[in-house]
Amino acid sequence: MKRFECLQAIAPLVDQELFVTTAGGATAEWNALRPSDGNIQVKTLGLCSSIGLGLATALPKRKVFVFDGDGALWMNLGSLATIGLHRPKNLVHICWDNQQYESSGGEPTVATAGKIDFAGVARNAGIESAHTATTVDELKHAVQHALSHDGPHFIWARIEAGRAEAPPLKYDELENKYRFLRYVEETEGINILRVPMPASYQLK
Amino acid sequence: MGTVAGAQQIIAGLKEAGIDLVSSVPDINMLQLINLLYEDPAITHVPVGREEEGIGVCAGAHLGGRKPAMLMQNGGLLNSCNGLTTTALQFGMPILLLIYYAGDIGDNAFHMVGLVTEPVLQGLGIKYVVLRDPAKVKQEIAGAVTLANSSKRPVALLLTRAVL
Repeated sequence: MKRFECLQAIAPLVDQELFVTTAGGATAEWNALRPSDGNIQVKTLGLCSSIGLGLATALPKRKVFVFDGDGALWMNLGSLATIGLHRPKNLVHICWDNQQYESSGGEPTVATAGKIDFAGVARNAGIESAHTATTVDELKHAVQHALSHDGPHFIWARIEAGRAEAPPLKYDELENKYRFLRYVEETEGINILRVPMPASYQLK
Repeated sequence: MGTVAGAQQIIAGLKEAGIDLVSSVPDINMLQLINLLYEDPAITHVPVGREEEGIGVCAGAHLGGRKPAMLMQNGGLLNSCNGLTTTALQFGMPILLLIYYAGDIGDNAFHMVGLVTEPVLQGLGIKYVVLRDPAKVKQEIAGAVTLANSSKRPVALLLTRAVL
């Protein structure tokens, strides 16, 4: 299955869910299919699962999706153990495994040899809802299950390599962050960014 | 191990400054502090396995509206440099870094990590204060959090044994 077909199947299933996406093709394709200020692209390889854990912990009533890659997850495999320890009910962690560092030129990852079972690692780290998807239908069902049940959920999506045509992101990381924060403020009814009044306002 | 009084003062300072989530990796000198974090209902404690994970957790917590801090040894600061640079600094995120200063004057181990700690913080462009006076702990925590929020950057407090 192709990643883009999977993303096309997920997009109609979601509404105000938040998406933390690893740098690379998954981000561009997802933003083309589901443009939203509730999407944030991560710049640090491997850190999207940890950022997703922090976001899911901060907003326990909101579903938080993480789009990881096999190279990125290899770099931060310990994050599965940390997620298994804290067990955020609202986290849906999808690893798009194309068996290569696609953004870096296609070099092999730990997944290339076909020996690692990411879903098995997740399950044995305490994430009981760990599923493997090799068809679009399996992926869609796993996401539907994750949306309707408490997690944490991990989905190992075994995809073909290759990127779909997708335009570059419209926003750099600062604008992406501000738009994301304002979206969280509006949809959660909270205030995150405050600009203090000038000191003279404290004089009576 | 630190003292209960030192740990209580730091926790009180964090709460007064609005910190409501702390991610941590332990050090023997922060034992009391971490024990208190496990017990305190007002602060969400998120232990992690490696310090850079904690920078990610703090970044995500900030995106969700929380006021995060990362508690670690200075060896963990070295483990966190890419996350600090390409997430916390590049996106402009206020994260309080509470760093035990191993290898400081009087420390009989980890002299190399002590030697590079301040130059690394300077190289990263992260403002920091070395806490040596217990009487100034709360004031310095409040100041660091104010600066982190206004500059939208990580700010570090280096914790010596005198304040723990």
